[in-house]
Amino acid sequence: MSKILGNPRSLAILLICIAVAAASVLGGALGSAFGLGFFASSLPAIQLPAEKVTDGFDTPIGKWDVMNTMITTWLAMLVLILISVKIRSNLNEVPGRLQALFEVIVEFFLGLCEQIAGKEHARRFFPLVFTIFIFIVVANWMGILPGFGTVGRIAGPEEIAHHHDVHDYHDPALADSEHKTAESKMEKHAKHHSDSHGGDHGAHLDSVKLHIFTDYQSMPIAALSPASLNEEVTFAEYGEKHGDVGVGKRAGHLVPFLRSANTDLNMSLAIAIVAMVMVHFWGLSILGILGHIGKFINFKAGPIGFFVGLLEIIGEVGRVISFTFRLFGNIFAGEVLLMAMAFLLPFIGILPFLGLELFVGLIQAFVFSMLTLVFAAMASVSHDGGDHH
Amino acid sequence: MGDLGINLPGLITQIISFVILFVILSKVLYKPLVAMLDQRAEKITAGLEAAERAKEEAAKSEESIQEQLQEARTEGQKLVTQARETADRFREEEMAKVKEELDAERARAESNIQRERDAAIEELRKEFAGLAITAAEKVVKTSLDEEGHRALIEGVLNDEGARNN
Repeated sequence: MSKILGNPRSLAILLICIAVAAASVLGGALGSAFGLGFFASSLPAIQLPAEKVTDGFDTPIGKWDVMNTMITTWLAMLVLILISVKIRSNLNEVPGRLQALFEVIVEFFLGLCEQIAGKEHARRFFPLVFTIFIFIVVANWMGILPGFGTVGRIAGPEEIAHHHDVHDYHDPALADSEHKTAESKMEKHAKHHSDSHGGDHGAHLDSVKLHIFTDYQSMPIAALSPASLNEEVTFAEYGEKHGDVGVGKRAGHLVPFLRSANTDLNMSLAIAIVAMVMVHFWGLSILGILGHIGKFINFKAGPIGFFVGLLEIIGEVGRVISFTFRLFGNIFAGEVLLMAMAFLLPFIGILPFLGLELFVGLIQAFVFSMLTLVFAAMASVSHDGGDHH
Repeated sequence: MGDLGINLPGLITQIISFVILFVILSKVLYKPLVAMLDQRAEKITAGLEAAERAKEEAAKSEESIQEQLQEARTEGQKLVTQARETADRFREEEMAKVKEELDAERARAESNIQRERDAAIEELRKEFAGLAITAAEKVVKTSLDEEGHRALIEGVLNDEGARNN
């Protein structure tokens, strides 16, 4: 201790650490209970579905919009493809650093595939298993980079109301600015008054909070900045103010441009579906159509066998669901945890959890790929063969 | 489903994205990388085998060298023994020959001496006979009495015998 205090550099570092810790505790949400909280920001509106970044187009199966998780997916793909191309172009018998790193990972997974699925099928299962692993790892780790979930566009009140299944809400601020003409103004006023306060939808919408962001000359881009804790209004208050939240300010929710890909059920479900489709494809191609389908629709072993087959079908569906929700749940919970810690203890509170999220992201990727491998190995073994031995 | 954020267009987009990634990575990364790993493994196995073989060969050649050396040593030993034997035999032969020659020489010398002695005796005898004749003549020329005769002969014989012996 005396050694640390004696060295001026160590002492300065120690003092800075203490100052940061103090600022963090006092400036965060904890400090705001005592009227401080100068660094606290609003806890962002956490929602399960991915947010829309821009409008897309209508398709026969629904509206296709560009979601923030899609952008992250594409970024992760881009990163992986660039790395692959780089390794490919410098592929050498004597490996470079990047190639050596990937060789180690690839060797590890090839070894696992051979252990679990046997030498016969290892090469067949490996590409999917490895793609699942590497993609989920990259996507998860990208998700905790700065800027993910904190920089985005501002969704106005109408869009938020839309999310809460209120489709006829009109933003009083927009109504005021767009309809300056006297004859429509009174009418609109009356309308939005009745809309925002009137009985049919207001009850659950009124308590929903809106955050207030600085409007950069009507550019709808914002970041969750420190010191914005108290700037919140509910829909009820917003209506009372007729949409006027201050000069150069705008109410709404932050819609991040980037959000960790696996916090969207679409992504984890997509990987699960691809994995299970490939597992059954392998089952069919290894055991033959009858051999594989026979596991599920079984008339040979009597009524009990048939019932077991039905249970197997339910089990297969259960695998897809557990795949989807395990990955989604872990990563989404991690994002919420990071948000909450950044909200409670800015700067320092998040540090241990960043490490934790790195670990969780890796483990979840590994679990997903290993389960795929195990299911593939199981699907490539016929049940009859197992019984006879 | 809508509340969970699952919607068909989004799901299909993500499936397509993932499949595209899967295909691209398989083609660009795994195939060449795994081929490279296999190739390297093969190379290393071949190298190890070659090293093993070289080691074996070295051991074998070492053995053969040792064998040859042993053979050469025995050969040398044999040659030396043979040479020694030959030398011994040669020496003995030579010795025998020399001895024989010496013996022959001595025999010749002895026979020479014998012959010369015989010749000398013969000559002596001849000379003595001549002497006897001469003495006899002398005796005959002078008067011969019995006594004088005998003394004369006796004297000649004694002279001759003293001279001979």
